[in-house]
Amino acid sequence: MNGSFKGHVAIIQFPGVNCEYESAAAVRSIGLGAGIFRWNEAPALLDGCSGIILPGGFSYQDRIRAGVVAAKDRIMDKVSELARVGTPVLGICNGAQVLVEAGLIPGIHWEKVDLALAPNVMADREGYYCNWVFVRREKSACLWTGAYVEGEAIPIPIAHAEGRFTTEDAGVLDAMRENGQIALRYCDAAGAALDSFPVNPNGSMDNIAGISNREGNVLAMMPHPERSTWLRQVPEDLTGQWGRRRRAATGEAGRMEDEGPGRAFFSSLRGGKGGEAR
Amino acid sequence: MKTATQLWVRLKVIDLVTQTARITLAEKLDFGDRLSGMTHYWYWAMDAEGESSEKAIAAEVDRVIRLDSAFTNQNKHSYRLAAGGAALGDLALERDYAVSGGPAAGAGTAAGVAPAARGRASAGGATAGGGLFAFDCLVREKRPDREAAFAERLNARLRGVVVSNMKCGELWRLITAAPSREAALADVEKMLVSRSRREGLLLNPHYQQYEIIDSRRIETGPSGADARAGE
Repeated sequence: MNGSFKGHVAIIQFPGVNCEYESAAAVRSIGLGAGIFRWNEAPALLDGCSGIILPGGFSYQDRIRAGVVAAKDRIMDKVSELARVGTPVLGICNGAQVLVEAGLIPGIHWEKVDLALAPNVMADREGYYCNWVFVRREKSACLWTGAYVEGEAIPIPIAHAEGRFTTEDAGVLDAMRENGQIALRYCDAAGAALDSFPVNPNGSMDNIAGISNREGNVLAMMPHPERSTWLRQVPEDLTGQWGRRRRAATGEAGRMEDEGPGRAFFSSLRGGKGGEAR
Repeated sequence: MKTATQLWVRLKVIDLVTQTARITLAEKLDFGDRLSGMTHYWYWAMDAEGESSEKAIAAEVDRVIRLDSAFTNQNKHSYRLAAGGAALGDLALERDYAVSGGPAAGAGTAAGVAPAARGRASAGGATAGGGLFAFDCLVREKRPDREAAFAERLNARLRGVVVSNMKCGELWRLITAAPSREAALADVEKMLVSRSRREGLLLNPHYQQYEIIDSRRIETGPSGADARAGE
């Protein structure tokens, strides 16, 4: 790339993230170019990039509060600038925490902190929770979910301790609903958004798993699509069609490289606004 | 007897969280010329009630918090337990007001003060009521059930003592140079509350809250090399 990310998806590597290479591989799996951008490189290298991904992990070791130190980093000036002019930006897990702490999500008041990703609230346990869950693709203008069918229940892994979307400002929640910014909700395998653990795995308000900005080019989501991009990543005991596909592929190495349920988040990027329908 | 009890816990080694917070506040949020020091504690406050003396109540609470790693881990933590007039533990809280060294010194342990801030604090303190001000800011989650869970945890282990009215969280001691206490407090509020990408760091108001549990003006000597808590 000769240093420039023009035409490529830039995966921002803050100190402490650990999903940057999987995220890049997931982007490449749909035929787009991707590269790792270290947080202290020249911001101008991002000019002309086709998308930005803030990957999962523990930026700055989650010091003070997950995502907050990276949110104050100067490279976020550039991310904010590019997001504002429509560059697709995806924050996955810790990346979602960064986007929320930076005020790019929900972005109703740009760069104002209108939300938190607070510590999980779960029945009879606390702290880190790692499992496969289902999220429902909601009706929204989100670019990153465009390749999914509205109402589709998507199996996908989560792994976090601070994933509870919450706000003190009821007006913000109302506005997000009205604007169609709630892109993903936790649901069961049949698509019902039950507000109880484990369907809602972290106590998130309104079962929210992912929020986009109003324009739809920025998405903060707690689940990990890069960990469900290939069929080999799907557990054999998963409920539903993806579990059946995975079981049917057992013993056939070639089929393990088939598409997994999370890949369409990345292939949505190829379709521009509204995504590329599968 | 019911005794107001407080527990401060701090790392024995350099606290990298505090280092990061200080660098972020100074270099990314432009408080470098005012933030003169900071220290980070885990903090619990509660009422401890028992039939025995204040000293015996403190000793019983001390026995439990030394054994339970939810409160202290003797391998890595120093602590101070204060119950009424009784005080236990090896943490010298007053030392964290010390004004010594340059900006990098003591960022994680005691409060280092930037040379520029020292000079201005001395001048301001001498002439206009300004100077160095220390604020102990308790950041708590807006979840009383978490605090109640700490009380339950203690009560399950205490013998002859019951604790109640638990309040706990992260305690940040912020030392700022300012022309007045009001100005210092305004800066502290801006350092604490994340309101936008460019303002605030130490708490997210959508699930956390803060209160100032102690504040004081710090007297500095002519060289800025010594300090003692005023007021």
